[in-house]
Amino acid sequence: MKIRRIASVLLLIFIVAGCANLKAVRDYASESAKLSAYTELTTRFRDTYEREQPYLFGEADRLAQDNDKRRKAAYEDLMKIHQRVSLYMQTLATMAGESAFDLSKEVDSLAGGIKAYPDFGINSKHVDAVSGIAKVVAKWITSAYQERALRDMVKEGNEPLQTTLQGMASLVRCYKKTNENERKTVLGFFDVEIPFADTAKDKLLKVLARAHAQSKTAEYKNVELKYDEAEKGIKSIADGHKKLLENIDKLSSEEVKAMISNFAKDIKTIRENLQKIRS
Amino acid sequence: MALTNQKQVEELADKISECADSIHVRLMKSIKNKEIDQYTAQSIFQDEATLRQRANSLYIDAANCVVEGLSESQKSIMDLIDTAKDKIRTIKKIAGFMDFIADLLVLVAAAYAAKPAPILAALEEIKKDVETLSKD
Repeated sequence: MKIRRIASVLLLIFIVAGCANLKAVRDYASESAKLSAYTELTTRFRDTYEREQPYLFGEADRLAQDNDKRRKAAYEDLMKIHQRVSLYMQTLATMAGESAFDLSKEVDSLAGGIKAYPDFGINSKHVDAVSGIAKVVAKWITSAYQERALRDMVKEGNEPLQTTLQGMASLVRCYKKTNENERKTVLGFFDVEIPFADTAKDKLLKVLARAHAQSKTAEYKNVELKYDEAEKGIKSIADGHKKLLENIDKLSSEEVKAMISNFAKDIKTIRENLQKIRS
Repeated sequence: MALTNQKQVEELADKISECADSIHVRLMKSIKNKEIDQYTAQSIFQDEATLRQRANSLYIDAANCVVEGLSESQKSIMDLIDTAKDKIRTIKKIAGFMDFIADLLVLVAAAYAAKPAPILAALEEIKKDVETLSKD
């Protein structure tokens, strides 16, 4: 009975010492991965010409066609930036995952193997007890390895990630400004033309134009919200990673866990907001 | 044009967009005051739209500058992801070392019923062995 007590004490110690509990990190990383895979605004940037084309004539249209080709050419590289940030975050999530470094399956099959040989004269209850300990030991050891691997990744990854996220923020800004010029081209057209449609004969035309301008105004207002949310999201991902780096040696602290969890929640909310906004 | 960095390009594009904005304000005022005819208004708006396309062209340049500027960071990120994957793989290799632990387990299990001291010693061994493994 004494050994059982020792074993259970050991078990307890190992559980306490070994359980890294990286759930907060995992949540942060997987939410960041999902948000950085949000490419609607990049695609919208690529498709600018399709939307503005009906409102363009002459020289402006010629330039717009040229811009269209160049945006389409840049599209692939722009998408790569999304993919890489997302891939980085997915990898981080995997690293912080429960199953990434989990050996308990191996231990289980091992215990099964031993039980299958009754000739050993080993009581199966004993095997269970020992394999239980082995699982905890394995967990304890692998979680030390896991934390170290995670620490390395976050330390080395922070600088290139921050640079890339700054780049993403600059891109969103360029998309937003391009969209602003598109909006002013489209709505400006109605601004200019509607006042001249002032005869009785033009009444139908004027109403249709006003109704169309109204729906276009609403569309642009919604899209602008998306640029703002995307900017906020990029900032949250960047800040979250910075905090993760600052507290990389204190990941078990409740305070740190709560902080990282909050980043995960914020990023999730931003993604949900983006989905909610009608385009 | 000798503008090489993204910030310069973007600022120029902003200026051009602002000019187009000013033109629009002035144009709308003229229309409201009936200073100009429709044809003139259309031609001024056409110029405004052309300016906006010029600005948008510069925003594409700016975006391309960003992409170029990121190539190094992108490479670091890709390298890092590869390293991380290796690490995950390495620990999977440690799974192979469970064979070794298996031997110990059998020993421990056999000794279990009889003597507690060898068990603790064996556990100590496991701990040491795997600590060494995880340092790699």
